[in-house]
Amino acid sequence: MLTLLKLKLPETLKAVAPLITVITFLQFTVVGASADVFLQFLAGAALVTVGLLLLLTGIDFGILPMGRFIGGKLAEKNSIPLLLVVAFALGFATTAAEPDVLVLAGQVDEASQGALRQQPLVYLISAGVGLSVAIAFYRVVRGFSMRALLTVLLALMIVSTFAAPAGWIPLAYDAGSVTTGALTGPVVLAVALGVSAVIAGRSAVNDGFGLLGIASIGPIILILIIGLLAR
Amino acid sequence: MTESALLADVLRTARGVALAVFPLAALFAVFQVLFLRLPRLEITRIAIGTLLAAVGLFLFLLGVAVGFMPFGKAIGEAVGAMSQHWLVVLFGAALGFVTTWGEPAVRVLADQVEQASAGAIRQGLVLLAMCIGVAVAAGLGMLRIAYELPLVWMLVPGYVLVIALVWLSDRGFVAIAVDSGGVATGPLANTFLLALALGASGAVAGRDPLTHGLGLVALIALAPIIALMVLGFIVRLKERSTEVRS
Repeated sequence: MLTLLKLKLPETLKAVAPLITVITFLQFTVVGASADVFLQFLAGAALVTVGLLLLLTGIDFGILPMGRFIGGKLAEKNSIPLLLVVAFALGFATTAAEPDVLVLAGQVDEASQGALRQQPLVYLISAGVGLSVAIAFYRVVRGFSMRALLTVLLALMIVSTFAAPAGWIPLAYDAGSVTTGALTGPVVLAVALGVSAVIAGRSAVNDGFGLLGIASIGPIILILIIGLLAR
Repeated sequence: MTESALLADVLRTARGVALAVFPLAALFAVFQVLFLRLPRLEITRIAIGTLLAAVGLFLFLLGVAVGFMPFGKAIGEAVGAMSQHWLVVLFGAALGFVTTWGEPAVRVLADQVEQASAGAIRQGLVLLAMCIGVAVAAGLGMLRIAYELPLVWMLVPGYVLVIALVWLSDRGFVAIAVDSGGVATGPLANTFLLALALGASGAVAGRDPLTHGLGLVALIALAPIIALMVLGFIVRLKERSTEVRS
């Protein structure tokens, strides 16, 4: 693990250096925040750097293998119902736990003028993500075309964008981004790579990816449709 | 910053991380007991890694909450006082690039792409394409706020373009590209780019800052998808031309 930490150190420094440089440059050219705020930024940057180092190391060391084990076993079991249940649970549980989803549900609650309550909405959005993840996994197993699935989903999304009330559109598209947290993303990725590694004839590049993207499209369509119905 | 405010940030961040780790740990525990039965060595490894990642995520998010949020606000205020549109657009593009560059999930995705493709698609290439995509999107997002263009004018053509590229791009890039949209909107982008958008929309009288802030997130999710699919399109064109020659 220590070797892994050492390996990740240069990558971490390379990741944060441009951000810190640009912010420092802005501070002394145009922003000119008080010394307090700038020192606070530097302290925050130190925390972010150490945190990123541990996070990237931990993901490589434990989180990705965890996902790959689960994915490999799922594919080995060769049971589609089990796969769908686990995929749904993975999408549902991780989304319901995401703090951003609660905030988003609060905004939808407001936009619908209280017609839709916050807590049920959290479950509804989570179910939307769970369903999308399940569909995406089903695609990996059955091997039907990613292109066709994406075309159908995106077309549905565009059509519902035109139909939904204008105020709901930014809200819906924001929903797509709140669903994939810093831990959920790598886990879903690893599970999918694990599944595609075990099933014969699946390529890691074509079938191991795409789940996160499809998981983001699901809640967008869902909220647009809610907006349409709430009108 | 007062001690009580710091304590509130610490508690909120710790709660958020615990909530994010719990379902994963539970899912793994169920799997381990029912199907996996991994040896103790593997379990220890996974537990240490998960703990490390949780502590790392906590420090990372705490640093963002304590150090980056207030500065983000300061940037927003500075931008709100600016009258030159081009400077704001430049700001957006620069911050879009460097925040994506530092985003943890973006790095994990780029790493996994290189591994899964056995080195055929380089990590750096994916990273760079995503950063350029977000930089362009953040710049356009600022432009949109300055000139009060409706969000739909960018989103709908953008996603229509995505549908076209799904069929034109190299197959290997399609799945990776859609994933890239989901990971680009992480905590760093949310902090700095949202603050920038709120500042800029506060400067335009009568605009609703909330709608603008959200709209920018939508563009940031769209841009890397297009960037990576264009990359895939270029790769496919190149492959074709080498096939023709050989």
